[in-house]
Amino acid sequence: MTDEITPLGSIQVSPKAISSIAYHAALQSYGVVGLTSKNIVDGLAQVLVKDPTYGVDVDYDGENLNIDLYVIVEYGTRIKAVAASVSNTVRYNVEKALGMPVHEVNVHVQGLRISNFD
Amino acid sequence: MSSDPQILIQQELFQQKPIDGQVLKKLIEASLTWLRTNQELVNSLNVFPVPDGDTGTNMVLTMQAAYDEVANSPEKNFGKMVHSVANGALMGARGNSGVILSQLWRGIARALDSQEVLDAPSLARALAYGRDTAYKGVVRPVEGTILTVAKDAAKTAELALDETDSVIKMLELVVDAADESVKRTPDLLPVLKDAGVVDSGGMGLYYILEGMLRHINGLPLDTSLSVVKPLAAMNLDTTLELIEPGQDFEVVIDFRPNDGLDFNIFYDDLEQIGTSIQLGEGDGFYRLHIHVPTEKLYEPIEYTRKIGVVTKAAIENLLAQLEAMGRGNDESDLPLVTVEPGQIAVVAVAPGIGIARVFASLGVAAIVSGGQTMNPSTQEIIQAFEDLPTDKIIILPNNKNIVMAAKAAAELTVKNVAVVPSKTVPQGLSAMLRLIPEGEFNSIVEEMNQALDEVETGEITYATRDVEIDGVKVQEDQIIALLNGKLVLAAPTIEKACLGLLEKAHADHFEIITLFSGADVTAKEVIRIADSIRSAYPEQEIEVQEGNQPHYHFIIAIE
Repeated sequence: MTDEITPLGSIQVSPKAISSIAYHAALQSYGVVGLTSKNIVDGLAQVLVKDPTYGVDVDYDGENLNIDLYVIVEYGTRIKAVAASVSNTVRYNVEKALGMPVHEVNVHVQGLRISNFD
Repeated sequence: MSSDPQILIQQELFQQKPIDGQVLKKLIEASLTWLRTNQELVNSLNVFPVPDGDTGTNMVLTMQAAYDEVANSPEKNFGKMVHSVANGALMGARGNSGVILSQLWRGIARALDSQEVLDAPSLARALAYGRDTAYKGVVRPVEGTILTVAKDAAKTAELALDETDSVIKMLELVVDAADESVKRTPDLLPVLKDAGVVDSGGMGLYYILEGMLRHINGLPLDTSLSVVKPLAAMNLDTTLELIEPGQDFEVVIDFRPNDGLDFNIFYDDLEQIGTSIQLGEGDGFYRLHIHVPTEKLYEPIEYTRKIGVVTKAAIENLLAQLEAMGRGNDESDLPLVTVEPGQIAVVAVAPGIGIARVFASLGVAAIVSGGQTMNPSTQEIIQAFEDLPTDKIIILPNNKNIVMAAKAAAELTVKNVAVVPSKTVPQGLSAMLRLIPEGEFNSIVEEMNQALDEVETGEITYATRDVEIDGVKVQEDQIIALLNGKLVLAAPTIEKACLGLLEKAHADHFEIITLFSGADVTAKEVIRIADSIRSAYPEQEIEVQEGNQPHYHFIIAIE
């Protein structure tokens, strides 16, 4: 998909590779306690799965690179600020690793994890 | 405890009263003040070029929200008060560091549920709960951040329980531990080491804790103490603006002192030599920046050679640099207003330097350059206001093609942004006159929206192709006049276009006509056209401003 032609051949980066970068960046973002399946029918929202593309959708239409993240956020945080922060972190890390601009990072907050009640 | 007798007296005074909710209020206020005093320093510690990066500002806004929540509360119970603080911090959390800070407060509040007053064991418990709650918020905690500093502070408090039951003593130890912990952050996080900085969020937390201690010790909170900055935080570009007469050369010296550096003596000595002194520290050496007059050109080098080994020295002639950048329409010398936290700030898009100046004189906080054929990106608009120390932002796009980008910018930020959809420069100026920076945000936005319709906008430009719109036939390159965005006439000269436009606008029913001259109209022509408008409209007040906008010979405000 995201390919670049060099005199020595082409470079292709698969969506799965990009997903991994986004996945790790998302899990390092403060307030995000897990990623989850986007489709609730797929099963219960599982937190902390090992598949490094779980909860990340990468879409490249030949022009724009769009990333969708399906996250679980810690209860008690300001969700808007957490979402803005995860979006920035993922964009920064993907752009840094890939050297190409990310068009959109959409953050879908699928649930909250309640560690302790106030 | 401290050995300074003055401080001991202050601490004695503090200990005479129980630490209740009202004392907490004072402590929070002290934290906020001290953090704000050092806000710029914390901001300068950024390493990631992401818009989320204004750590100092974010933490100040979060603490401000926490303080606002309790500022007028008469609550005496410490536990109840700290719950209010946590609630305020949660509601006002900005950015990553703000969210973490709010989680710390949330944990602290949980630990002290209905505690009447604060004592040493409860302080230790509070810091431990704060740490635990903060760590729960992330799957893979990154060490070398505010989290690490919170952890080290909590651990120190727990250990201190064995040797003291004094809150002040414990806080002193905690502040020291936080300081040490901040200094260690580059060892834990390579990206900090590469950038030559310590972690900004950790530094912010340190100031919050230190602010409380300074309050207890009766020390001033509104003067920054930092004389040594991390290397990456030295912003030498901005020092050019601070050049004083007689300071002709800029000298930058890297040196390793033979023994430790006594900053007071060092600064005293250097102040004899020059101005704009900055000292940066990095990896065992110091970098000195200073402006000196010609006759003292070599003195800084000789001075540093006396106290250590000079590894590098660079001298630049400032006069030559000033001449190079002095004239010309440099946007950096726009007289933009400085926004105080909590005020409303306006960002205006301006198509030319002259128009930017007019907006600046009316109190705009940031200018984005752009217009008809050079629309600024959403990112450029966001950048213009992200750094402002307030979250109440109004954008004036001043062009119908930029309204969309401005609205997109408003959606992409956590700040509270309203777009007042001014489609022309005169509309933007008209709206600007309604700005009251301290006013209530929504009502000011409404006022500005209403002001948009109170001005008629005329634009004189040229046609880029043959066209017929609204019954007006135009050939390529012909002069045309637009009234409120609609083509009203074509004319052989700029002068005729102006007069024709004013007639269509019924300018004789209005009071003031302001002309903004474009970049491609000569001063002589502007005077001639203004004179002929004056004789055609003797009743009206005619003003001429240099707009410097491209493509438009004139932009005309009729009000």
